[in-house]
Amino acid sequence: MRVFNRIFMILLLAGLFVLGVYMIVYAFDLFGYKLSSLPITDFAGGLKGFVSGVEDGNLPVATQALLVLLAILGLLWFIAELRPTAPRRVRMGSGTYVSRSVVEGEVATVAEEVPDVLGSSVGVKARRSPGAQVNLEARVRRGEDMNTIKSGLQSTVRERLSERGLPLSRLNIKLVEADPRQTRTRVQ
Amino acid sequence: MAALATEGVYSMGRGRFVEPATYEGSEKVSGVVVTPEDLEIHIVARYPLPRPIPEIAENIRERVAPEAGGRKTVVVVDDLEVVGDEGL
Repeated sequence: MRVFNRIFMILLLAGLFVLGVYMIVYAFDLFGYKLSSLPITDFAGGLKGFVSGVEDGNLPVATQALLVLLAILGLLWFIAELRPTAPRRVRMGSGTYVSRSVVEGEVATVAEEVPDVLGSSVGVKARRSPGAQVNLEARVRRGEDMNTIKSGLQSTVRERLSERGLPLSRLNIKLVEADPRQTRTRVQ
Repeated sequence: MAALATEGVYSMGRGRFVEPATYEGSEKVSGVVVTPEDLEIHIVARYPLPRPIPEIAENIRERVAPEAGGRKTVVVVDDLEVVGDEGL
């Protein structure tokens, strides 16, 4: 949400700046632009009609649906903003932290030591509670026994991380069939 | 120095986006952030690890405790440094 908020705020502030420049130009009758030439009366009339429609409860169905949709979107955004951001570092407990890249590197090393794995990509998410959430995508040859490889990989990764003292809260493994000619390791 | 002398520590951490450091006078100590309540020590661990990371962190905590002045010590492992040809 932080990146989205930044983009949103930049666009909002840029828009306000442009509107502010227009306001100054029109308010001081600069470059031949006059405030009286703006179609404010039409806009105000339309707004008045909309507000009286809301008060009387006789809005078109499409407008009502749009308002409900906007309210739901606002509520979802509000809930998303209330959620605390994920920490940058993986908590190990008792005042010890480890960067996500360390966990990523260790999981990738362990995964690629497994004979059936030709390559891997690892994503690590830190959580507020101790332990990291690891998403491991391992590439294997076509026709291999996926279930055996997956369970073997799961136990190997868990065991090795446990030996290193790296806590793991969740390990998601996805096996992808790949052509050995296109993977980092062709033969194990 | 106490942290650097701990087994399993390769160097002090440099952080990723911001360098953790403490400035006092004209001196800069990289990898250590001192606040009134906390002492944050960033390290790069030696790989292969001689011991599990929690043990290395605990050892660092014990070593720096006399200098910490009662502050809560937080150890952050920023990276691992592969030391493959050591001892050859």
